Amino acid sequence: MKNQDYLYLDHAASTPMRKSALDKYIEAESFGFANSSGGHKLSRNSKNLLEDSREIIAELLDSAPSEIVFTSGGTEADNWTIKSLFDSKQPNNNLVTSNIEHEAVLASAEWISSNGFQTKYAKSDENGFVTKDEFIKQIDDETKVASLMWGNNETGVIQPIKDISKELKSINSSTLFHSDVVQGIISDNVDFHRNGIESAAISAHKIGGPKGVGAMFVNNKFKLPSFLHGGKQELERRAGTVDVPGIAAFATALQEQQTRFDEEVGLMNDERLIFEDKLKNALSVEIIGESMKRLPHISNVQFRDINSEVLLIQLDLNGLGVSRGSACASGAQKPSHVLQAMNIDSKFINNHLRFSFGWTTQVGDGSKAADIVMKAVKEIE
Amino acid sequence: MRILVAMSGGVDSSVVAALLKEQGHEVIGVTMKLWEGPNGEMPESGCCTASDSEDARRVASKLDIPYYVLDYTESFSKNVVENFTQMYAQGLTPNPCVECNRSVKFDHFINQAKKLNCDKVATGHYAKIIKNNDKYELHKADYLDKDQSYVLHMLKSSDLENITFPLGEISKPDVRQIAARIGLKTAFKKDSQDICFVGKKDYRSFVEKRIDLTSPGEIFDTKGNKVGDHNGIHEFTVGQRKGLPGGYGTPRYVTKINVQNKNVTIGEKNDLLVSSFIVEELSCVNNLEYKNLTIQTRYNSEDLPCEIKKLSDTEILVQLKEPAFSVAPGQFGVIYNGTKVVCGGRISPKVLENVG
Repeated sequence: MKNQDYLYLDHAASTPMRKSALDKYIEAESFGFANSSGGHKLSRNSKNLLEDSREIIAELLDSAPSEIVFTSGGTEADNWTIKSLFDSKQPNNNLVTSNIEHEAVLASAEWISSNGFQTKYAKSDENGFVTKDEFIKQIDDETKVASLMWGNNETGVIQPIKDISKELKSINSSTLFHSDVVQGIISDNVDFHRNGIESAAISAHKIGGPKGVGAMFVNNKFKLPSFLHGGKQELERRAGTVDVPGIAAFATALQEQQTRFDEEVGLMNDERLIFEDKLKNALSVEIIGESMKRLPHISNVQFRDINSEVLLIQLDLNGLGVSRGSACASGAQKPSHVLQAMNIDSKFINNHLRFSFGWTTQVGDGSKAADIVMKAVKEIE
Repeated sequence: MRILVAMSGGVDSSVVAALLKEQGHEVIGVTMKLWEGPNGEMPESGCCTASDSEDARRVASKLDIPYYVLDYTESFSKNVVENFTQMYAQGLTPNPCVECNRSVKFDHFINQAKKLNCDKVATGHYAKIIKNNDKYELHKADYLDKDQSYVLHMLKSSDLENITFPLGEISKPDVRQIAARIGLKTAFKKDSQDICFVGKKDYRSFVEKRIDLTSPGEIFDTKGNKVGDHNGIHEFTVGQRKGLPGGYGTPRYVTKINVQNKNVTIGEKNDLLVSSFIVEELSCVNNLEYKNLTIQTRYNSEDLPCEIKKLSDTEILVQLKEPAFSVAPGQFGVIYNGTKVVCGGRISPKVLENVG
């Protein structure tokens, strides 16, 4: 089957690169291939392109260029903020996060914990929502970093970032408030300063940019210790030759995404609603977090009587690509920690699939996807 | 036909997928993920390792067939690993591969294949399925060196209807040649021998990590005289020679392990001879038969002529024509009529009649 005959609804995992971004990459690789730290003309080309890209991205995200550091993606940014601020000289410092975070945050939290620092987890309610009170009550004088995602990557449920950031500062003004906005940025207006976010992880490939490129927003008030040691790149914050063509492509992708935001996100929302309505009418399903404010691109569907391991295969064979929980190295899949945190009945916990729309979504995709799901379910039963 | 092929990453199942695809079937490859360690790591060697599933994925990609990894870890851990440790703890000799086929692999696999609208499932086992009128029979593979009908004895006619074993009439060297002809990387990969979840480690240390095995008991000779003490019956299996009290002139062997009072009996080699025993948890492919029977008491062991007597729906008494040494409680006994598998079950620790 050719890729174009295949309906792709796994944009939360990754998206294809926008043509404008790919064109920019090719152009940048020719114009700005040189090491941006060098002292000659071609390096200057590269350095100029890097700083232009930084300015474009900073402006699109309503932040200062000095607040944008380029990384290899969301995982690196999460690791960086969470791990680098803990210091053995301050053994009483603690970390506060939630039990529905992305693995990049949870695994970093475990690492902090294994190094002897206290790690506190605010619990999600049954709707996949971490209430302000639940999160705030974990914060104390020793909280060094607090981390809560913007919108959950499995359910799309949007967390009360602004409410929390405000109150958090009144309890401990020195706590750094980090947010993984990797999914949020796909389909929501994420403004760091206005929402009190002091550090954030962003990934280029979720919005039509290249994989292996990301950015971290860090409020100018904070200086994070370097994560990768070596040369003096990225204002001495992250060593390693900078991927200028990738970053230029990222800037172009973000530019196009922000310009077309209302149109693209409107379509994701419409198609998702059509998809969910059609499924609810035809099958015994539940949409997780349906009553909540959700990211428009994510739909997590619980099938009453069908194990999604087999359904995922049947959908693939029928030309629809979606996902289940998070994939482990070998491709086998475990019950999701997010659904477990929501206390989903263990009878149904393996019956979930995540359908995620994205910038390539076309009119009719929601209905087409629902038809394929209904056909596959019929074949299984 | 649409066929779901269980691909372990080894040469046998790779060739099965290739042959079925060549025959024009719609082939879907699946690796069953059976086991992972406490931190999610896969074992280093054996039939369900990370690198093996990587090999399977590569073969599937070369054959241009869809490929998936299905998670069987929960069932495997419950039915195979726990059973394995419990049986060792009781001084029995488990056969995890049979247990895995019996209670994890085929049931679930056939069920999933049906859900995926597959007409059959296929594996790389060496065994034959022959349709005789309405019944499906399980037979030894033509290539007897590799015959695996022993580990498949629990399949019933109604299961066999949904299965195909394309290697039943092919020899292992031919399988390797086919693999080489179609350019499979796995052509000359060595066969897995280890217990997949134990790997190259000693199985006792594996068991000891999981359950407390200290259950001291006494060692007796065949006349009932106490000759020593021991720390736990898991340190012994019937037929074992090492680590026993000495000073007899002739070698001593473990002849009996009493699970109830933890007593171990040792004797001479001839004390190991067994002429009749019970096979329990019996499973018949079709109806039970009584004539021209032989039994294998270990995987790919000698066929011993025997007679059987039905004790209940799940138990038979096996009477060997000639006493034999190789009967270990916990192992499976599989009854054949010629090449045809009649039935099989677990050799019971209950009554082992010794003839000395």
